Amino acid sequence: MRVMDSDDIVEIIVRHIRDVVPELADHPIGRDDAMADLGVDSIERGEIVVATLEDLGLDIPLVQLHGPRNIGELADLLHDKRAA
Amino acid sequence: MSAGTHPVVGIEAMNVYGGLCALDVRALCTHRGLDLPRFENLLMQEKTVALPYEDPVTFAVNAARPLIDALSPEDKARIEMVVTCTESGLDFGKSLSTYIHHYLDLPGNGRLFEIKQACYAGAAGLQMAVNFLLSGTSPGGKALVVTTDLSRFALADANAVQEWAYSEPSSGAGACAMLVSDTPHVFRIDRGAYGNHAFEVMDTCRPGPDTEAGDADLSLMAYLDCCENAYKDYARRVEGADFRDTFGYLCFHTPFGGMVKGAHRHLMRKLYKAKPAEIEEDFARRLGPSLAYGQRVGNTAGGSIFLALAGVIDTVDLSQPQRVGVFSYGSGCCSEFFSGVIGAEGQARLRAMKIAEALDRRYRLSIDEYEMLLRGESVVRFGTRDAKLDHDILPGAWPLTQDTPHLVLDSVVGYQRQYRWV
Repeated sequence: MRVMDSDDIVEIIVRHIRDVVPELADHPIGRDDAMADLGVDSIERGEIVVATLEDLGLDIPLVQLHGPRNIGELADLLHDKRAA
Repeated sequence: MSAGTHPVVGIEAMNVYGGLCALDVRALCTHRGLDLPRFENLLMQEKTVALPYEDPVTFAVNAARPLIDALSPEDKARIEMVVTCTESGLDFGKSLSTYIHHYLDLPGNGRLFEIKQACYAGAAGLQMAVNFLLSGTSPGGKALVVTTDLSRFALADANAVQEWAYSEPSSGAGACAMLVSDTPHVFRIDRGAYGNHAFEVMDTCRPGPDTEAGDADLSLMAYLDCCENAYKDYARRVEGADFRDTFGYLCFHTPFGGMVKGAHRHLMRKLYKAKPAEIEEDFARRLGPSLAYGQRVGNTAGGSIFLALAGVIDTVDLSQPQRVGVFSYGSGCCSEFFSGVIGAEGQARLRAMKIAEALDRRYRLSIDEYEMLLRGESVVRFGTRDAKLDHDILPGAWPLTQDTPHLVLDSVVGYQRQYRWV
């Protein structure tokens, strides 16, 4: 079985974005997109991050996930936290 | 109460004061060009906007006066502590409690001071009063705890307006006055039932008297972390506590309703892996009533949990007593989860304050009037030595249209604020 990489985590994040904001179901979303620019509000961003953590089985303080400027950077950070 | 038994303490009487003017928040968002496609999810309606002759003292005194007027001279003489909980202080040294004490004509043998820890200040003030009473050092004593906050940040300069943008729609103004004693008719504290979570974080701050800065994402994450861990600390202390079953109602710190909804969802998923339909039903039933007043005055900082509590007590069926779980969060940050019991007697007492009716009577500002106030040309800035207030700035809002005496700011003479009753 292949080890999960950052792109796999991007996929999980994008799935949750489409889940939380159905308006984005058919909108192309990639690593370089920032959720705020896609019209995802702060409450929805929180919900997406929490759901992604659940999928990854990560139990860490949310404040440790502050800082990434786009989906790719968030995925990289989550990937690092998972490896830690 | 006899020696050897545990005293019963909590809130004997409370009142909420939501000012003289209100603004439609959706109209503000539209005017600012904020793209909020799902505005309804944020659960905001109106916010209170302070007039130049309203300040944290007038809000506090106007909230407290009905409680003090209802006391006998003997009971009034037992108020031995005035705690003001605020992040809108008027002086680095002198506390707001000194003015509040004076304009309410309270006895001289008391402790007057002010507490600050962002929106956690109110919970801190209540717990200080509760623990003063539980200490038994002055049996039968009472404490007046007042939360009072208003937001007038944007008047510094265009840069400040920019920094403020993320919270302008939710920033409100309001005060909550509580008489805390050993006859807790309105909210009986569950003694020893509390939990805390705190750590240093730079999520929201007031770096100057008229400015606020912050990061919405970081603040949200700190709030969610605190909500989970303060509750877990509560559950560690309180045998058999169960978030789903122990509390008939819940009151969370309410910067705006959407935040509360997000935190409740987080907790229900984390603790029970609850499904969306169950979460939605539980939120509407146990937290919906707490939004009654917050969504009409905006974020009142340290007072928001007590506005939430007042909303619950005023609007739900209390033919049977109910336990309420309260979560307070203050940026920076410190948080607490605690609980108490409400019932029919407290409901009758609180309804006599006619909080909703007073909110209905507020003057509705147009966007132009709001922007005129925001420019702050007639506002007394922090550190002003002398000033005379213009009471004609918005004739329609002058409190003669209200049915109870109102305190207004009249002038500042040698840094001392002078108020008068209208």
